[in-house]
Amino acid sequence: MLSTRKTVAATILGLTMVTASACSQGGSAATNNPNAEGGKTQAATAPMPAPFDAGEVHVAIVQNTGQGDYFQQYLNGTKLQAGALKMKLDVYDAQGDNATQASQLDQAIASGVKGIIVRHGYADTLCPGVNKALKAGIKVVIYDVEIQKCSPDAVQTQQSDAKMASLVLDQMATDIGQNKPVGYVNVLGIAPLDRRNVVWEQYKKTNTWTQKFFTGKYSSSTATDTAPMVYNALQANKDVVAIYAPYDELTKATLSALDQANMKDKVKVYGADISTADIELMTAAGSPWVATGATDPNAIGAAVTRVLALDLAGQLTTKNVEFPPILVTQTMLREKSIKNMDDLRAAEPSLNISDTASAPWIPAIKF
Amino acid sequence: MTQAVTNKTGQQAPQPKLIKQAAPASELTPLMRVQDAVVKYGFVAVTVLLFVYFAATEPAFATSDSLFAMLKYASVTAILGLGMTFSMVVGGMDMSIGSQAGLAVQMAAMTMVFYNMNGTTAGLVVVGVGILVGLVNAFLIVYCKIPDLLATLAMMFVIQGVKLIPVDGQSVSAGMVLRDGSVAPGKFTSTFLLLDRGTLGPVPLPVVIMLVLALVSWFFLSRTKWGRLMYAVGANPEAARLSGVRVGFYRGLAYVLTSTFASVGGLILVSRIGQGDVNAGSSSLLEAVAVALVGTSVLGAGKANAWGTLLGALLVGIVLTGLTMKGFQYYYQDTAKGLVLLVALVFSYTMSRKKVRYTPAT
Repeated sequence: MLSTRKTVAATILGLTMVTASACSQGGSAATNNPNAEGGKTQAATAPMPAPFDAGEVHVAIVQNTGQGDYFQQYLNGTKLQAGALKMKLDVYDAQGDNATQASQLDQAIASGVKGIIVRHGYADTLCPGVNKALKAGIKVVIYDVEIQKCSPDAVQTQQSDAKMASLVLDQMATDIGQNKPVGYVNVLGIAPLDRRNVVWEQYKKTNTWTQKFFTGKYSSSTATDTAPMVYNALQANKDVVAIYAPYDELTKATLSALDQANMKDKVKVYGADISTADIELMTAAGSPWVATGATDPNAIGAAVTRVLALDLAGQLTTKNVEFPPILVTQTMLREKSIKNMDDLRAAEPSLNISDTASAPWIPAIKF
Repeated sequence: MTQAVTNKTGQQAPQPKLIKQAAPASELTPLMRVQDAVVKYGFVAVTVLLFVYFAATEPAFATSDSLFAMLKYASVTAILGLGMTFSMVVGGMDMSIGSQAGLAVQMAAMTMVFYNMNGTTAGLVVVGVGILVGLVNAFLIVYCKIPDLLATLAMMFVIQGVKLIPVDGQSVSAGMVLRDGSVAPGKFTSTFLLLDRGTLGPVPLPVVIMLVLALVSWFFLSRTKWGRLMYAVGANPEAARLSGVRVGFYRGLAYVLTSTFASVGGLILVSRIGQGDVNAGSSSLLEAVAVALVGTSVLGAGKANAWGTLLGALLVGIVLTGLTMKGFQYYYQDTAKGLVLLVALVFSYTMSRKKVRYTPAT
């Protein structure tokens, strides 16, 4: 006979498999993210053109990483807009692993989708896949990968990083003036951060700021991994008056390092990106984060999906779409007592880009 | 073990008792027979069933494009898993395998981009460095007597850090600005990029490499004296030593082989990425361990083996591709990966009546 242990094991095994199969029978994996923003669907005023008039259009998003506030909101916008357009959206998430992203792009192509959104990653890695997809007649919309050189036919979209950096750095120059010791927290080799870096180099030179340190690490837990690096840099450079950290995970790391080093009142932090969590951090009592450049990732995620829809319908007239950012300051957030993204959208309607890349037949999502 | 082991003086050594003898067939109850069948064929059956299920419910799943994409995806994991199989056969585990793949990525990129060498040179440099790292691991484990897990854990951190020193922590890409302000002279050669992007007929090259390496591993482990002795060392190093087996040599050899496979896996990775990505390989360790462990349960082997590892990698590939097509997010996929491993472990550790030969040394 089977021993008790074996019987227990067999039961566990059986249950595991039942659970596993129960999951896969479930079909839809749509979950409600507690942080997800609702978004209102604006009614379309025209009938849908082909291929949208013939039922569900199968598309995919191949994203480099989905972790962090920004990317979660981005995907939320993408999902809502895809839903409103009755698209079946497959989500491929490489979790920051570039080789995996290349494989997932291959898989998306093989799965027979009509359109693909490629979000972040290396041009060198994604180029063969993107060209393969285009050759197979799949529409490809790229977000934030500089791929024009090798895939000129792909549609390029991005938020204007140069503008985002210059808005914030103008503010920084006004606040601290010239000839000051400053810190820099960034990671090079990632397209949007590289573009912000170019602007930083210019401002550093123009304002004769002395860069006392340059640190930062991009990983699956950027904020946690970067914080101790910034803390150590601060220990060695207690004279810095401002730090530029142009990505909100890096900005968070900088805030936590300043907190730990007890230097919150001495150093001003200039960041990038915005989310409800970021707004809380900026408006917290004694927060050193004074300015950030903002786009609404929800709105961008939705807008990129509309670009793909226009492309699928053969109505896209440009190969390059940019989404403009705005400057958000701590003073403004406090004066208008803005607590979350909804408040911010109400105060700054320009964040909502539901008119960008739209058409009468598209039920645009407004956040 | 059917092969007789001879000691130094040429006498027949007593057979080390590697596995608990199964009861003679006549004593087996029907339940035990079922249990044996489940242990032996359960895992293969799960793989086949999942494949059939996905193929039947997702029309795009079983297309040749999709299957080749899946095999290509699985190839690096499979190759690293095969590498891990060697160290697991001798009763150890190489924690540094992922960082070694990352090192290979960086070395290949530097050879071509910084020093403007061709792809073949890059390949030779990478495999050479891989063998060197394997020798260091072997030295630490065999000569310095540091337990496998601990030595390779330390090496994992060392390699992760060391590989970034010459590149100032940056990903190496063509046209980058070097320390002295000049622009890097080289780029990834098109021949080198073929390693991942090329095909042999309809079959992607990395899949061919994976299959060849699986065949080589199987032959080495099961059909050569060296391979058989590695299993003996892993099952009972003391018995192997008393039988005259040079235990240290075989353990060392296993780590050198692991590293060599890690460097080949890294070469495919870098060819896939097209840049010296600093994060490459960081997720590879756990995947390699997982597929090699899954492999121990295939056909009731109860020990790390080449075909088992390959099947493990394919099963993980099938599950991930299928779940993605069904619209599951990555965290469901991680859960599924974990469950696959768990089921495999239950097959081989709990349900099998055979003593499992793989137990980590520390």
